[in-house]
Amino acid sequence: MSIIEVKNLSFVYGIDTPFEKKAVEDVSLSVDEGEVIGLIGHTGSGKSTFVQMLNGLIKPTSGQVLLAGRDIWEKPKEIRNIRFKVGMVFQYPEYQLFDDTVYKDISFGPRNKGYSEKEIDEKVRNAARFVGLSERLLKESPFDLSGGEKRRAAIAGIIAMDPDVLVLDEPTAGLDPKGKNLLLAQIMQYHKQRKNTIFIVSHSMEDISRIADRVMVMNKGRLEMLDTPRNIFAQVEKIESMGLRVPQITKIMMTLKERGVNLPDGILTVEQAFFEVVNLLKKEGKI
Amino acid sequence: MSFISVENVKFSYDEDKKNVLNDINLKIEQGEFVALLGHNGCGKSTAAKLLNAMILPDEGVVIVDKMNTSDEKLTYEIRRNVGLVLQNPDNQLVASVIEEDVAFGPENLGVPPEEIRERVDRALKTVDMYEYRKHAPHKLSGGQKQRVAIAGILAMQPTCVVFDEPTAMLDPNGREEVMNTILTLKQNGITVVLITHYMNEAVMADRVIVMDKGVVLTEGNPREVFSQVNLLKKHSLDVPQATELAYKLLGIGLKFDEMPLNTDECVDYLEGVLK
Amino acid sequence: MTRDIALGQFIPGKGVIHKMDARVKILLLIAFIVLIFCTFNFISLGLITASVVAVILLSDIPFKMYLKSLKVIILIIVITSLLNIFYGSGEPLVQFWIFKITLSGIYRAVFVTVRIVCLILISSCLTFTTSPTDLTDAIERLMKPLKIFHIKVHEIAMMMTIALRFVPTLLEETDKIMAAQKARGADMESGGMIKKIKAMTPVLIPLFVSAFRRAYDLAVAMECRCYQGGDGRTRMKILKMKKLDWFCVAFTALVLIGVILCNIFFPAAI
Repeated sequence: MSIIEVKNLSFVYGIDTPFEKKAVEDVSLSVDEGEVIGLIGHTGSGKSTFVQMLNGLIKPTSGQVLLAGRDIWEKPKEIRNIRFKVGMVFQYPEYQLFDDTVYKDISFGPRNKGYSEKEIDEKVRNAARFVGLSERLLKESPFDLSGGEKRRAAIAGIIAMDPDVLVLDEPTAGLDPKGKNLLLAQIMQYHKQRKNTIFIVSHSMEDISRIADRVMVMNKGRLEMLDTPRNIFAQVEKIESMGLRVPQITKIMMTLKERGVNLPDGILTVEQAFFEVVNLLKKEGKI
Repeated sequence: MSFISVENVKFSYDEDKKNVLNDINLKIEQGEFVALLGHNGCGKSTAAKLLNAMILPDEGVVIVDKMNTSDEKLTYEIRRNVGLVLQNPDNQLVASVIEEDVAFGPENLGVPPEEIRERVDRALKTVDMYEYRKHAPHKLSGGQKQRVAIAGILAMQPTCVVFDEPTAMLDPNGREEVMNTILTLKQNGITVVLITHYMNEAVMADRVIVMDKGVVLTEGNPREVFSQVNLLKKHSLDVPQATELAYKLLGIGLKFDEMPLNTDECVDYLEGVLK
Repeated sequence: MTRDIALGQFIPGKGVIHKMDARVKILLLIAFIVLIFCTFNFISLGLITASVVAVILLSDIPFKMYLKSLKVIILIIVITSLLNIFYGSGEPLVQFWIFKITLSGIYRAVFVTVRIVCLILISSCLTFTTSPTDLTDAIERLMKPLKIFHIKVHEIAMMMTIALRFVPTLLEETDKIMAAQKARGADMESGGMIKKIKAMTPVLIPLFVSAFRRAYDLAVAMECRCYQGGDGRTRMKILKMKKLDWFCVAFTALVLIGVILCNIFFPAAI
């Protein structure tokens, strides 16, 4: 069943002023429960505006967002409830930490949601476990944590609200490779257990191709492509014409194919590439 | 003698805490482009601040262009010589108008007004931001802001520019803009020290130095360094996918003349093997 | 969403007043303010009003903008002029209960109203036609002589420059943090005053933390660019008095003489 359905969604900034700008234009799609959707597009393509319409932070100029079949703006006064169902992690979320302990900070969302103390405690500890924050750290001030820990504490604050849909805007921006890989692994582990729907915005095509079931490509406010990573990244030219890149390994394999080497389309990871190359060598009896 | 030499330097922010830099030795020649690589907390940012006398070594010496950074009389001459560009482009711009921001450095140095004007125009042209000279910083993209910050350093006419993760907060386009600007500086004969954790940026350097836990792990030209895939992985550093694939193939007995570092080299190598 | 707050309400333009040296503008503004309060009869009041109108007509700013700035203080104008009407001395024209309206009261009210309106118009003219950067720059240069009283003129001006630079950045940041906390279910709209103030804590604390972090970064960046305070510093922009500026000084001087003569040769009305 589709958990989120977006119908002809548009948003225009500064209507009736000289600065009028269409940020999102006529986007429609439907996302199934448990899917991981990667969202790519260069800066200014409307990605951020689009994801902020999913949890009602921005009200669409026209079109609808249906969550489990119901328009999220059906009762505008209760829009706050939507934000607990569609959890949103902004870029550099560590800049939103404010309470005196990590525990209290993570509990901010669940408390707003109206959970009982017992439930809050359970949700906070679960969320902390998902992102790999130890019990000891929960008592610390969030401002004393390392950069990577702060990031994970902030993400835990959203996970603790137990949303059905989790939106992550560039969760790994600014982290080093070690921190990045760790965080991605934790998010995927969480997804595996909780089985909820995830939208992940990223500039790293390598990351997107590794974790997404389907990829949305946005360009100039429009949804240009929506398909599996394999099919999306097979269209190197189209992707590059929108100022985006494909993963390096995909590019290498595609170029080889163009030069007449017998390789399949849309190879996304080094492991796949290695597998295909070895296969080919075996077939030709070179090894 | 090297243009910059760091000799047996130890440093800690807190006396009783362990050393951030532990007996480090670096040599950088004039006009060289050196990449300093390592994950967060390995001491590479601290090393950057050593080079322009923002911090002074607890032990050992840092010599820049024959000047000892511990000599207080030379502090500002050293900072003029060695510009430092920081990570967050927003937090290094002082004025509300681009050209006035770029003028900030030379103004501090007491350069005469007409010459400041010339330097500002030239610096803005070098980073390709001249047409934005009257704009306000907050309206620019991250990459543009970072280029303005670079122009602000260039206007002091430094011989060396140290970049402390200049692209960490930028999108891919911004990253490319800044990397192109860095390459332009190198072509103009400026010594460049680039601190980064992106391998594909480090590949462009003449020499790569890998740091971990306050010591130099390995150094050499990019090919030598990135050939040590195991060592890099062990210290949680990424290698380019092109290199990783070649390395895996090496494991099953496929030899190559030199380790491929980028897309083109990898394609050529594989084409040779597969055809 | 970024709110574009027009800082200091500067409106770019190409008018005569825009082209003037900001230092001259500030000094002439002070001269005008003094003159406005040194008018004691209707002729000098008329003269100064005419000059102010002339200045704002020359300013290449839509008159609508001036009306907007008057609108803000309309209440103050009404209250002060009412108070003045009832405060006059002499024969009452109208009298009811404890209130009496006298001719001198009406005169006072007219004077007060015209003075305040002129004051607002001429000051708005300065802020409309001068960019905040030019304004701080001019203030720094004008205040330079105060150095002998150990006033840190350069430091004050530097602080103003940095504040101007970071206001838009921090506004944008406030928007971001508010959105992030709303996404965590923060309720900032409902409830009374106290509840609303409490609800702002999750926004204010991160904002302060961020401001401190930025301040620290900026201090490092400034040191890297050899900043050592105001001593030995030069400026790229050299401000020079042009023909236009001298002309405006002369104009103001004429108005000044006019007002003095009117005050001498005509009887005071208040």
